[in-house]
Amino acid sequence: MSAAELAEVLGQVRAGDADAWGELYRQYGPAIFRFCRRVLPAREDAEDATTEIFMKVRQKLGTYDTSRPFVGWLYKVASNHCWDTLRRRRIRQDLETGDVETLPLEHPDPSQLERLQAEHSGKEVRAGLAKLPDRARMALVLRYYSDMSYDEIAETLGVRRAFVGVLLLRARHQLRDALGRSAGELLRGTIAGGRP
Amino acid sequence: MSHFDEMTVLLYLEGELDADRAHTVAAHADSCAECRALLQALKNEDVWLRESLAAEDESIPARLMDAPVRAPVPWGWVTAFGLAAGGAYTLWSGFVEPMRAEAAQAGFTQGNLLTMLFFSGAFWKGWDAMRSLMEFLAIATLGTVMIWLLRRHWRRFATVAVVMGTLLCALAMPLTVGAAETRKGNPSYTLPATEEVKTDLIVCADRTVIDGVVDGDLIVFSSNVTVNGHVKGDILSFTQELRMNGTVDGNIRDFSQGLLLNGTVGKNLMVWADHIDFGDKAKVGGTATFGCNRVQLDGQIGGDLLAMASNLDINGSLGHDASIVSEHLTIGPEAEIKGHTKFQGHNQPDVSSTAKLGSPIEIVIKKHGERAEINPAHVIWHQLLLWGASFLFGLVFLLLAPGFFADATSSCKKVGPAIGFGFLFGIATPIAAIIACCTIVGLGVGISALFLWMIAVYATQIFVGAWLGDTLLGTKPGVGLAIGKLALGLAILRVLRMIPYVGGWICFLIILWGIGAITLAAYKNMRPPVATAA
Repeated sequence: MSAAELAEVLGQVRAGDADAWGELYRQYGPAIFRFCRRVLPAREDAEDATTEIFMKVRQKLGTYDTSRPFVGWLYKVASNHCWDTLRRRRIRQDLETGDVETLPLEHPDPSQLERLQAEHSGKEVRAGLAKLPDRARMALVLRYYSDMSYDEIAETLGVRRAFVGVLLLRARHQLRDALGRSAGELLRGTIAGGRP
Repeated sequence: MSHFDEMTVLLYLEGELDADRAHTVAAHADSCAECRALLQALKNEDVWLRESLAAEDESIPARLMDAPVRAPVPWGWVTAFGLAAGGAYTLWSGFVEPMRAEAAQAGFTQGNLLTMLFFSGAFWKGWDAMRSLMEFLAIATLGTVMIWLLRRHWRRFATVAVVMGTLLCALAMPLTVGAAETRKGNPSYTLPATEEVKTDLIVCADRTVIDGVVDGDLIVFSSNVTVNGHVKGDILSFTQELRMNGTVDGNIRDFSQGLLLNGTVGKNLMVWADHIDFGDKAKVGGTATFGCNRVQLDGQIGGDLLAMASNLDINGSLGHDASIVSEHLTIGPEAEIKGHTKFQGHNQPDVSSTAKLGSPIEIVIKKHGERAEINPAHVIWHQLLLWGASFLFGLVFLLLAPGFFADATSSCKKVGPAIGFGFLFGIATPIAAIIACCTIVGLGVGISALFLWMIAVYATQIFVGAWLGDTLLGTKPGVGLAIGKLALGLAILRVLRMIPYVGGWICFLIILWGIGAITLAAYKNMRPPVATAA
């Protein structure tokens, strides 16, 4: 859908056109559903969240600034909703922040890292993602699926902007570990000793 | 330069390094094979992650094929809420109240009217038929709650099967409830002296006369009721006037304009009426509880007397203690009170010198507009205790239901809607509950709803307090900080409520605001998944 077509559809949706709303949903519904599937471990939750997100989109469409990309705004609504859903399940813990801030930044062996990438399919990566803590999973999805900026990630997760890089690096480490202890062990520290 | 670390590489790849630093890294990578390899590996990982996450691995479910249209009214939850209230009542009447009754029989009697009314279950005792109905509702409630809790984990077909199974089981159970006869007057109803009803009797009539025997409870809705016969269970009456000349083995619970009692009540008597004429031949075996305008008490009461009345005239005998709140109290020459008598009122009681009293009357005279002397230390200690109680309540809420706590707290930010909804539900809920109490089926639900409403009113301060804490200390996450914010917010509210004159209004505002926030949060949490268009 071109920018002009999208603008026209959005205008029609604002005017209450049901067909335009259906068109918008068909265009972006699958992507938002996949986003929810990546972020929320349970499929039922992802299905519910997809519907609820689009209800919010319809309600809030009047507040959307048309000078900004619609997709970015859509993912913003979706990520806020999913983060709220996760938050409802538990109180976000200080400990998680503490862990990340004291993360020892060990270096992976590039060759081992590439082997890990070669040995694990996309499906395994997604399965590994589901094993990560909520915030780590959320950070990876926001960055590498929704292509959000560091500013947007910081705002969504309620962390300092300078902390987003640390969060992503930590999440990558956790994902590597989740993909296999043996692989994770191979990755760690092989060149750390050689670096100041 | 030395090798750079993984964090620097990541930030370089993400374009998050400043130009100078990025230039340095790029220059170093050109000359250092090791760092170049790391940079390339992380770059590949970036692509690998993006491709893995972007894969269209599963098709969109059928129920999401069409665009959502609107959220349906959560009738399921409205029903579930009502049933939950019934369940709460059953828990109370089935477990808590019998335990308290046993304690009372063992000598642990209650000391004041409020305790008697709300905690000893005097209001409910003997109301077995309704209890059975409430138990049925409780079963349905439990089923509903279970399904809701498990809805995320079960497939939809399984959920429907469980719903249907629960309903069938629930419908199969209440057959025992039907053990009552219902009679409708045309326009009056008389149970002849020669007739005996072998079960509970429910009567709706203009005038009702019971000359015969009811071998169960008598539940009666009538403008005038006269009981000359024998009721072996309880009498629950909603009437203009109840004349009781016969014998009741159980309790009488009467809501009427007037009660004329000349018969015998085996157990307890509880009356909400304009006036009571308790004749000299009348006998009550247990406790008598009155909430009346005018009471003339000439007969015998075996247990305690708990009375709130404008005018109370005692000329009969009381077997135990009397706790009386009244404008005017007269204790006549024939009166006998074997236990302790406690009186609170605005006027000195008129006590005959020939009245027999087990102990001197404890009199507390309240003068209009008089304020008790205030001891600052006592006030502070009292406020501290109240703060501690609310903090503990909030803490339990925070830890047990953090999601709802967060929702309710954040709902406080919507000041206008919260206060608006608070005004609506804060006033509508008790009115609806009282209306429900007026119908025989809704009485349990009504009282339970009132209890829940009172708990909600108390809980308002913790959400408004937490919001205040959030506003003052920011919205950074964390358990420790959340507890600190709650404590601070509650303390500030407590101080605000102590301000003379304004404090009461602040308290009122907190209740409205909090009730609205709870309503908004409850709606958010209870709202079922939005239906998709067909």
